[in-house]
Amino acid sequence: MNIIQTENLAKHFNRGKLRALDGVSLYVGPGRVFGLLGPNGAGKTTLVKLLLGILHPTSGNALLFGKPAAEYLIRQRIGYLPENHRYPDFLKGGSVMDYFGRFAGVAKEQRRQRIPELLKLVGMDKWANTKIRKYSKGMMQRLGLAVAMINDPDLLLLDEPTDGVDPIGRKEIRDIILHLKQQGKTIFINSHLLSEVEMVCDEVAIMNKGKIVIQGPVAQLTNLGLSYRIQTSLLTAEFKTQLAQKFAKLAAPNGHLDVTVQDHAELNRLIDQLRENKAEIHAIVPQKRTLEESFFAAIQGAASGDFNELTKLTESHS
Amino acid sequence: MRFLAIILYTLRESLAKKTFLAFFIVVTLTHLLFIFALNVDIVAGGQAMVQLFGNDVEHEIDFAKLRQIIIGIESGLAIAMYGGGIFLSIFATASLVPNMLEKGSVDLMLSRPYARWQLLLGRYLGGLSIVTINVIYLIGGAWLILSVKTGFWHTPFLLSGVLIILVFGVLFAIMTFVGVTARNSGVSIIAAYLVIFFSPLLLARDKIYALLSQKIYQWLLDGIYYLTPRTTELGNMTRALVAGEPIASWMPLLQSLAVGAAFLMGAMYIFQKKDF
Repeated sequence: MNIIQTENLAKHFNRGKLRALDGVSLYVGPGRVFGLLGPNGAGKTTLVKLLLGILHPTSGNALLFGKPAAEYLIRQRIGYLPENHRYPDFLKGGSVMDYFGRFAGVAKEQRRQRIPELLKLVGMDKWANTKIRKYSKGMMQRLGLAVAMINDPDLLLLDEPTDGVDPIGRKEIRDIILHLKQQGKTIFINSHLLSEVEMVCDEVAIMNKGKIVIQGPVAQLTNLGLSYRIQTSLLTAEFKTQLAQKFAKLAAPNGHLDVTVQDHAELNRLIDQLRENKAEIHAIVPQKRTLEESFFAAIQGAASGDFNELTKLTESHS
Repeated sequence: MRFLAIILYTLRESLAKKTFLAFFIVVTLTHLLFIFALNVDIVAGGQAMVQLFGNDVEHEIDFAKLRQIIIGIESGLAIAMYGGGIFLSIFATASLVPNMLEKGSVDLMLSRPYARWQLLLGRYLGGLSIVTINVIYLIGGAWLILSVKTGFWHTPFLLSGVLIILVFGVLFAIMTFVGVTARNSGVSIIAAYLVIFFSPLLLARDKIYALLSQKIYQWLLDGIYYLTPRTTELGNMTRALVAGEPIASWMPLLQSLAVGAAFLMGAMYIFQKKDF
């Protein structure tokens, strides 16, 4: 069973003039860390709000744990960190957790036990008795994450969880996410910090203008197929020219060879050629693009209507 | 009780924002003023002197007359507290619903395992609780001061507190409706005061009919009269209850409660349908 499942989910505003979400179908399995990427205004937050019943869909379906997202009791199993949250600033950190724990239906005994644990986990235990109006943005994010975990949720929806957090804090939040993943929790992250997402997510979807442009495991999205960088001893210019004539997709910048081959046999032929000419092979490195490169390729491809880049991605994906 | 968390949170918010405290201080000052302003001397078991703000209200009176005077004071006080209590209550609670609906707060509330109507009704009951506590203090305190000072324990005075709470409940339902639709505490206050302001005019609408050129305007005024809380008549009812006068009709109260319930249900319906 998918933890999150949407079918042609759409949300239109201004009588259809603004299509914030335009037929999104998405599946997130249990125990996965899923990243939803996209530029500002892509529809990421709209999707999360639809999942939580904060917005009503124009059309389509959203299911959480196999039940309609509109069923409010499902939210007992969900933790949510909104993007621009505003916890009541007259409360202290510990009180915020207590109130929202109570709202989430967590029993008093459990709250008493979990609040110090969670505050310690997010590095806020020393600030439990300080009014949150004195907190920095990063501290608020940490507290928000702790609040999202107060009901020991099976699904965590985190909207820009590392927003405003310093690099050390970001690392700590990444560690928490990985820790939660080990516990079998499903985590859905909305972010535009691609490197962050790449580090923690198993799977990502890239959204643009209300649509999912591409979705797949991070490893596949960043895979460039049969492209390799071969680090060798110094090659003569004449030999490089010979190689370039025999292997169409080969370049030799800065003392190494970048090659894209049709199959592994072709790669082996290239290696044979190198060895026959006494070239010393230091390393053969499969080439990957960063998630950022995949992201830009997807967004630019979708924006220009030129789907060559997208096709490449999809091909490598499949 | 599922509402309890929301009600307690609303009370806590009100305390933190000092509105509760301000209300409490104003009521305490009223009580202190009353403690020092009213002076009743009982002499030789049957003789008495009543002074208000240092002036003799009556001199050397018997207890039957004293009872009459105290009921008179209480009736006047009930009217003053009806107006003042509602005035303060509106200010103290106007921001409760719009605050909950502010960006960043509403997401946090709606993502909890509550139906939307439960959230709004919890907030409404929280606001009503704040006012109830303060009105109990206001009316209960005044009653206690009067009773201790005069030795005359006149319980109907306490009914004025019940009416203040009911009338506030009706007005707060309208404020909740406006708060959900406009998400602005200023507009909520204006809506409540418009109801109070137009209530005496609507009550005297038969005198306005002569100024109206067409019958349709009369019907319009009648419609507004029957679709809005009748706060003026309820004020008069408060005085009559305290004075022990017979109540000609309970219809103004029943109709106002029905209007309040309709506004509250309307607010819940709109809240249910609204995107945030």
